[in-house]
Amino acid sequence: MGFEQLLPAIAGMTWQNLVMIGVGLLLIYLAIAKNYEPTLLLPIGFGAILVNIPLSSALTQIDPATGQVVEGVLNVFFDAGIATEIFPLLIFIAIGAMIDFSPLFRNPSLLLFGAAAQLGIFLTMMFASLLGYDLREAASIGIIGAADGPTSIVVASRFAPNLLGPISVAAYSYMALVPIIQPPVIRLLTSRKERLIRMSSGSDKKISKKALILFPIAVTIVAGIIAPSSLALIGFLMFGNLVRECGVLNKLSLSAQNELASLVTLLLGITIASTMTADRFIRVDTLIIIALGLFAFILDTFGGVIFAKFLNLFRKEGNKLNPMIGACGISAFPMSARVIHQMGLKEDPFNYLLMPAISANVGGQIGSVVAGGIILTLVPFFA
Amino acid sequence: MTPTVEKTLLIAGIGMVGIFVFMTLFYLLIIALDRFLPYQEERATEELSEDSITDEEE
Repeated sequence: MGFEQLLPAIAGMTWQNLVMIGVGLLLIYLAIAKNYEPTLLLPIGFGAILVNIPLSSALTQIDPATGQVVEGVLNVFFDAGIATEIFPLLIFIAIGAMIDFSPLFRNPSLLLFGAAAQLGIFLTMMFASLLGYDLREAASIGIIGAADGPTSIVVASRFAPNLLGPISVAAYSYMALVPIIQPPVIRLLTSRKERLIRMSSGSDKKISKKALILFPIAVTIVAGIIAPSSLALIGFLMFGNLVRECGVLNKLSLSAQNELASLVTLLLGITIASTMTADRFIRVDTLIIIALGLFAFILDTFGGVIFAKFLNLFRKEGNKLNPMIGACGISAFPMSARVIHQMGLKEDPFNYLLMPAISANVGGQIGSVVAGGIILTLVPFFA
Repeated sequence: MTPTVEKTLLIAGIGMVGIFVFMTLFYLLIIALDRFLPYQEERATEELSEDSITDEEE
């Protein structure tokens, strides 16, 4: 019996497999040692190791003895959970159950930052098309700028499943790197005087329970009437929120926020890793996508901050917005709000920007899902 | 400029306008909900119903 028959995995190992195992180890390290999105990066990292050992039974293989196809569990998960969009949509129910829309009722005008900070999606999409990607691929790369993992997965799995691995890794990695990406961009775009602007928190205002119950229902109806294609995304998010706010499904709400979120995230992460085989991941495309993802996050921050500065042109002295708040219009919640609050405190220890920052950040959570719905609606018309 | 870039430019324009339209609608929705279903009114209704129950019991 030869070496190849005795240890076929070692005999079949290529340098590309070794690189991918290294990538998996790096993701696990970042998840554990640096606490970067551990719920996603750890399963993705482990999955990357799992699928890059030659002849891994986790992936579908052809049995050399019989010539029959033997289904791998990760491929089964992929077909059942990602290709059908079930996993990301279940995550949306969980996220919906976690979101408290009260801060938006206290500062409703800050909702508009959730629109401005989606600029990175569309500019990155244009840039990707300039680099030669087709429309569907460019849209999938641009959606990294939504700073919203499940939205990125839904769009990429529909338009460019071949790019799902690098897009998911880029989306989740940059969400974890918001504290490193946003501050230098904000400092570059704002003066110290602007960063010192104080804003009212509006935190003492109480919100009617009925309004909080009606909000997710009304949003679903409005979004459904205007863009029915966006309903899967927005509808599931709002359904999760209704479960939270209705007051009669507290156990379900807690289950959605904890058990459902944990279980589906676990499956989502390890299933995404099934696309991270060496032949699909070690390509120049991966590096380009990762670079474009960073570009998208920077442009999101740019869009939000510049929009705040634009609004300040029309606001009276004493009622101006701190332009840093604009950067919270991305979906990375509550990371972005915390970053801005910390930046405000650094400039002035008595400038508490947390409440308006959270309001804008909640707006970003809605904005990213709306952006995903719009992309899903528009791209098929033009492709 | 390639046809794909032209299409992305168009999608970017429509997309950004679309997001602002959606968010403005949601903003108006919040304003309307807040105006028609204010917190004070809710408390007043609860108090009113408690009062009426007390009246009936009496």
